[in-house]
Amino acid sequence: MKRIVWRWLAVNSLLMLALAARAETRPQYGGTLHVAMRAAPTSLDPADGTQPDSFVRRNLTQLMFETLVTTDNSGRAHGALADSWQASATSQRWQFHLRRGVKFHDATALTPEIAAASLRGANPTWNVSADGESVVIEREMADPEMPAELALARNAIAKRSSDGNPSGTGPFHTVDWQPGKKLTLAAEEGYWRGRPFLDGIEIEMGRSFRDQMTALELGREDLVEIAPEQAHRVSLDGRRLANSAPMELLALLFTRDAQRAEEKSLREALAWSVERGSIRSVLLQGAGQSTAGVLPSWMSGYGFIFSPNADLARARRTREQVRTIPTWTVGYDSGDAVARLLAERVALNGRDAGLTLQPTSTATADLRLVRIPLASADPWIALAGVASAAGLPVPKNEGGSVEDLYAAEQAMLATQRIIPLFHLPVTYAASASLKNWTLRPDGSWNLADAWLRNSKP
Amino acid sequence: MCEAVYNSAISTILTPAISALRALPGLRLLPLFAALVGLAVSASATDWNGPEQHLARKIVAVTGPGAVALAIENRSSLGKRDFEIIQNGLRSALDGIGMRFVKAEQAAATVTISLSENPTSYVWVADIRQGAGESAVVMVSTPRPEGLTAARDSVPLSLRKALLWSQEDPILDVAVLEEGSSPSRIAVLDPEKVSLHHLQGGGWQQEQVLTIAHSRPWPRDLRGRLIPARDHLLDVYLPGVICSSTAALPLALSCRESDDPWPLIAGTLNGGSLSVFPSAGLATGAATIVPQMKAFFAPQRNFFTGALTPGVGKFTTVPKFYSAALLPRDKYTLWLFAAVDGQTHLVDGVSDQAAKLGWGSDLTSIRTACGAGWQVLSSAAVRPEDDQSEDAVRAYEFPDRDPVAVSAAVDFTGPITALWTEAKGDSAIAIARNRETGSYEAYRLAMACGQ
Repeated sequence: MKRIVWRWLAVNSLLMLALAARAETRPQYGGTLHVAMRAAPTSLDPADGTQPDSFVRRNLTQLMFETLVTTDNSGRAHGALADSWQASATSQRWQFHLRRGVKFHDATALTPEIAAASLRGANPTWNVSADGESVVIEREMADPEMPAELALARNAIAKRSSDGNPSGTGPFHTVDWQPGKKLTLAAEEGYWRGRPFLDGIEIEMGRSFRDQMTALELGREDLVEIAPEQAHRVSLDGRRLANSAPMELLALLFTRDAQRAEEKSLREALAWSVERGSIRSVLLQGAGQSTAGVLPSWMSGYGFIFSPNADLARARRTREQVRTIPTWTVGYDSGDAVARLLAERVALNGRDAGLTLQPTSTATADLRLVRIPLASADPWIALAGVASAAGLPVPKNEGGSVEDLYAAEQAMLATQRIIPLFHLPVTYAASASLKNWTLRPDGSWNLADAWLRNSKP
Repeated sequence: MCEAVYNSAISTILTPAISALRALPGLRLLPLFAALVGLAVSASATDWNGPEQHLARKIVAVTGPGAVALAIENRSSLGKRDFEIIQNGLRSALDGIGMRFVKAEQAAATVTISLSENPTSYVWVADIRQGAGESAVVMVSTPRPEGLTAARDSVPLSLRKALLWSQEDPILDVAVLEEGSSPSRIAVLDPEKVSLHHLQGGGWQQEQVLTIAHSRPWPRDLRGRLIPARDHLLDVYLPGVICSSTAALPLALSCRESDDPWPLIAGTLNGGSLSVFPSAGLATGAATIVPQMKAFFAPQRNFFTGALTPGVGKFTTVPKFYSAALLPRDKYTLWLFAAVDGQTHLVDGVSDQAAKLGWGSDLTSIRTACGAGWQVLSSAAVRPEDDQSEDAVRAYEFPDRDPVAVSAAVDFTGPITALWTEAKGDSAIAIARNRETGSYEAYRLAMACGQ
């Protein structure tokens, strides 16, 4: 009897072992992570406003630099380089107390003076000063979103040397930087939150989605971007994919304000004519969400109020109020594989409503198909970011209520400068050896905790 | 119009569980039922009256009192029960300020209320349509409670877990300092302190907090041990730092930078050390005498360097490892090391046999009155192909050199971050990070015979 029991147990164990062929292991130190990306930034300075905002740029910044405050997945602020803060009753004066013992990669200590100078560089209109062990920010108007604003990558604290190269306090430091081509990073041994598990990261820039995918399949890259419309196909291939929440706004943006009532009617007709549902199904392969609002519903809680459904009859009725129909050129980014198809489809929908639109890849156009990465999971900051990118007045959070937010978004849409089309996620594919890598809903990486299986510790 | 991917209601997740409760008879579902009832009661305890009244007043400010067609829909994670409570509350609030509910064709206005949410708040939106295409939107928001999560079911186990302690900060180790039928005084080690707690009136009372002084940043995946001591309360082992408490109350903790080796055996199993507690649960009262073994921990990493003192037979060095377990034999002691390369090394003093057992990084052994008397506890992922899988711990015996599972796996709600044998040797402390709440939970794992 006992022998039978042992045999059963042995067989059971073997089965269990087979199932547990890839058991959980502790993080392993070592190895170089290879990352590819489409963007080709030419500056690593977080405050360099000449560089277009992108999720990738934000992620690069977070590898080398840190902010005073970070936000969690719910948008709540947590201390980073600042370990506490306080605001005046009017939210105009903010005082951030710096964490002690933090050093820049060049071994100099983080001081309030350096932090204040860094923030002034990123925000020339702010009044920022050092006060003892803290940094004080004073604004002319109430700014209840200050902690969330300081969590933005562009507000990362950088110490700028005379040669212009910024130094950060982040988990990795720069080893080699070929602007727009390649960035090589190494783990910062003395990082105050603990040395990262990876020894280093090599980032190849300016690589097309196709090249990135090929490199992943050949084992040359560990982490690559996936175009949203390709995500479904790639997932069918059994690849490990990670999606952010829909954080990128794809929209039509008119380059100037409507001059007359007729022009406003035509823009309204265009907004009603776009068949977002079918475009999403066919051209975007089901990725993202159709929208007629600036903010995604998961962020605002009310986005469903803006109906994204096309209403061709209404579009035609609105268009018929106008006698002369101009020809609008619709600009798109020629380097964006799906943009031309989207622009052509929008033009086709417009024609069904009696409008005349001409897609073009030239720099000048009456309206452009644009991708705007939402700046933050904080809805006020995200809305302000879109306004800034669209050249519209930046809304101020004065009341703080969701109804105020709705009113601000509605006011932005009422300008008829922007026609929101889709909210798209950011998608990445990772090799099987990359462990404990997470993509937060706002599209940011966490590579300090990532590790590579079978790397030599 | 509605593609509420991020607003899909949790009620659709709970519904199958409730259906299962109805379909499956038997008392074994009582814990699940109790958890669900608790969840429902907890959720329903929220006071919705404020936002109900607030939204009702905003709606009436637009429509004025009178006849309206009212529809209410749930786009949030609110459960069915809460939705019904809010629905009734809104109707009552509107009724109280002069609204009458009629069919759409008889109504002066149509009001559609959507219960939605964003990451921090519930957002209730009323879309009001009056006359020919006139529409208005009013809304209110109310903060969402945190930590409302569904409980997990449990299954009968021969390896039993009992929750000792839970906190938001990482727990590195827990030592039970006093106990009768259950622990009554414990020490909890986290990255910055040792906190002492004693049981009073059915709840844990904090007794003292001892700060850990360290000058260098801790490595990621920080590990540490609390070892009860003979002539003072306890020693603390952390990467590059060793602390010792005083013996007399109030306690003080003295820390120093040190690369001294960590003991791999604690408490009664170590013949050269003090038995802090009687060997509870052992078939024989006498503690097994096992030679002390220490190992050097890499001060900036999460593993032992492999250097042993005094060593296992001829081996004073083994591959770098995360954890170790011993299995005393008649004439020797078999050591198991969970190496950083994923292999398990079986070292008996003469040979070092590497095996790919598919185990996790954490293993330890306990001496019990069950089975062969010694079991190895090992962690593993519940769903090996899933990086976000929860971990489980299972007990094994080694009749020879092949492991034989002798217990069902004990599931945890997240990854195991520590697994150490307790000082008395017949149980282990498992620390897991709860993926749902983000908090760290310390459990005592003990074998129950004959189950």
